[in-house]
Amino acid sequence: MDDIVQNLGVITERTGMNAAKDGDICSNKQSGIELRTTSVQTIMEKLSILTDAAKYDVACTSSGVDRKGNGRDMGNCVAAGICHSFAADGRCISLLKILMSNECVYDCKYCVNRRSNDVPRATFTPDEICELTMNFYRRNYIEGLFLSSGIINNPSYTMELIYQTLYKLRNVYRFRGYVHVKGIPGADPALIQQTGYLTDRMSVNLELPTAAGLEKLAPNKHRKTILAPMRQIQNGIAQGKQELALYQSAPSFVPAGQSTQMIIGATPESDYQIMSVAEGLYDKFGMKRVFYSAYVGVNEDKALPSVRTASPLLREHRLYQADWLLRFYQFRVEELLNEKHQNFNVLLDPKCDWALQHLEQFPVEINRADYQMLLRVPGIGVKSAQRICKARKSGALDFDSLKKIGVVLKRALYFITCNGRMMYNTKVEEDYITRNLLAEHEKLPFDKDGMTYRQLSLFDDAQENADLFSKIS
Amino acid sequence: MQEYVLICEDSTEGILSGVYEAYQFKKKREIDSHDCIHLSTEEPDIQRLFTEYYHVQTDRENARKVTDTIAAQLGDETWYTLSMAMVSCLGEKADAVYHTIVLGLKTHDRHIMDRLQENCVQCVFKCARASGNELCHLKQFLRFSELQNGILYARIDAKHHVLPFLMPHFADRLPADNFVIYDEGTRTFGLHARYKKWYLMQGADFDEDKLVYSGVEKAYQELFRCFCDSIAIEARINPKLQMNMLPLRFRPNMVEFQ
Repeated sequence: MDDIVQNLGVITERTGMNAAKDGDICSNKQSGIELRTTSVQTIMEKLSILTDAAKYDVACTSSGVDRKGNGRDMGNCVAAGICHSFAADGRCISLLKILMSNECVYDCKYCVNRRSNDVPRATFTPDEICELTMNFYRRNYIEGLFLSSGIINNPSYTMELIYQTLYKLRNVYRFRGYVHVKGIPGADPALIQQTGYLTDRMSVNLELPTAAGLEKLAPNKHRKTILAPMRQIQNGIAQGKQELALYQSAPSFVPAGQSTQMIIGATPESDYQIMSVAEGLYDKFGMKRVFYSAYVGVNEDKALPSVRTASPLLREHRLYQADWLLRFYQFRVEELLNEKHQNFNVLLDPKCDWALQHLEQFPVEINRADYQMLLRVPGIGVKSAQRICKARKSGALDFDSLKKIGVVLKRALYFITCNGRMMYNTKVEEDYITRNLLAEHEKLPFDKDGMTYRQLSLFDDAQENADLFSKIS
Repeated sequence: MQEYVLICEDSTEGILSGVYEAYQFKKKREIDSHDCIHLSTEEPDIQRLFTEYYHVQTDRENARKVTDTIAAQLGDETWYTLSMAMVSCLGEKADAVYHTIVLGLKTHDRHIMDRLQENCVQCVFKCARASGNELCHLKQFLRFSELQNGILYARIDAKHHVLPFLMPHFADRLPADNFVIYDEGTRTFGLHARYKKWYLMQGADFDEDKLVYSGVEKAYQELFRCFCDSIAIEARINPKLQMNMLPLRFRPNMVEFQ
């Protein structure tokens, strides 16, 4: 009892309340949060449990929608998104990423919240979520809310709880910041439709790259029920755009688009399979983003890799690099991988790897090559390519200006000429360039902490993984 | 060759007055080219030979004339980039801005900032990028705390003087809040009163220790710290990556690192 009162110390004192009795609900007038609920869980405990349960979800972006403030209510959105902090694992904290509840009737093998796990459970009330969001947002801690949930009772019931929370946040608390919610597969389409008008981004998790993997690891989920709401959201977005063109005041439906995510390394798919699935999602479902999540072992299960297996971080990194090539560099999956060559090179990033396989197209002349070709040069990114195209209108560029523009010359120099000359006298020869590029040591986001790619390569090798799985099953 | 250096005040108005004076100076002394005239915001450590030094008084009226000319002839986008460059803390900014304006007006090119082959444009680009990055960082990492009277207070320590660009962002976002952003570096306050326009204030005395925070402030700070701790995945802990994304110099003013 004492520690609870102590927890509340500040607030009870200020609101003039006497010590709370067991089972009482002390509500704080100013903050509006019930600081202690009947289940004897403080808001702090709940936040800790439900954040912990949500952390394996990857998407934490606040991009895709530009919404100015209306001069009255709190909040706006910036198209590029804003990350407000970075956690100890280096991932960005942009949204208040929480579950509504980690109670779940499903038993997905890879999930920490599966019903057969004995973990502390908690559920937020809509008001608690709204108060936390508003107060965090006001202090510039977050850019908005990311709300997901375990399945309480059934999908529709869960979706309705999420809808109610969003309704309150938008219409009672009048929040205009960013909101990302999960669409729950199997929920009533009408609920998904209504939620879509309140949120900026909606995502339905693909969970695993193939239907076979899903069947094996998530017995309660089916590919069909996952794809149905995806299609619904896609159609809703298309229809919403049409309505907006006709009536300016039409409510916008999921204006920041939809995204999805899949777990990498829990099932034995190759990179080629995964990237093909991703390309299909971009082409056929109009996805804004596909996220890849390196499998982190949380459950001991005979169908899963051992808990001690290192997370395939390098593989995840390569998939993201390739994903960028698809979205911004006009590459197609078949150019990067094929039936014979199913996995990415562990030593080189996919763009360098592609360039080395296609040396006949190089070197390119910076002052003449078209934008598409510039994008394909290792060391030239989207911004540099755009700057080059603009700058060369008014005069020729030399290597010195390229450097200032932001081109990474130590990688690009093997592939480009400026005014007909290469930077140094180099051979355009695969072995020679590969050797030199490898000597540069690619900057990986995780190489300095003992997790070098050599140690990881064992787990990144999909063939090796397949062997591992055949032994298990 | 005889060179001339005009020394102006280190502020947007100061630099623009300098640009105005440089044009006047060229006309009056019948100098052939702008290349012989330089603008600086700092006194030279060592005076050079064959160089004359002059001081320019900041004149708001002259600065306004230059602003209007730039906006009309070079466009708002160019004006935005130039003004971002002028608030940066890099020493060469004044001269670069001056020569970029000269080049832009001479060629009547609204896309003057695309000409990255030119040294002066390159330099403006570099300065504007430096202060632009800092602006982005502050939009991300600034933290408000609530005072007893409901006012939100934030302290920043910016290298570049980006507070004037930061205020509109928060004014748009929190129209119904009274808030104050204090920039330690320039000792400037950005003030916003609810539903009113924001403004800047300089030269006020201020003792941060006297601030009284609201009753719930501590609780929310604790909650956010708890959130930041729980959201990290143990198997992926990576301080190096965290440091790349969130440089140490911002951390003293952020609740989750206090």
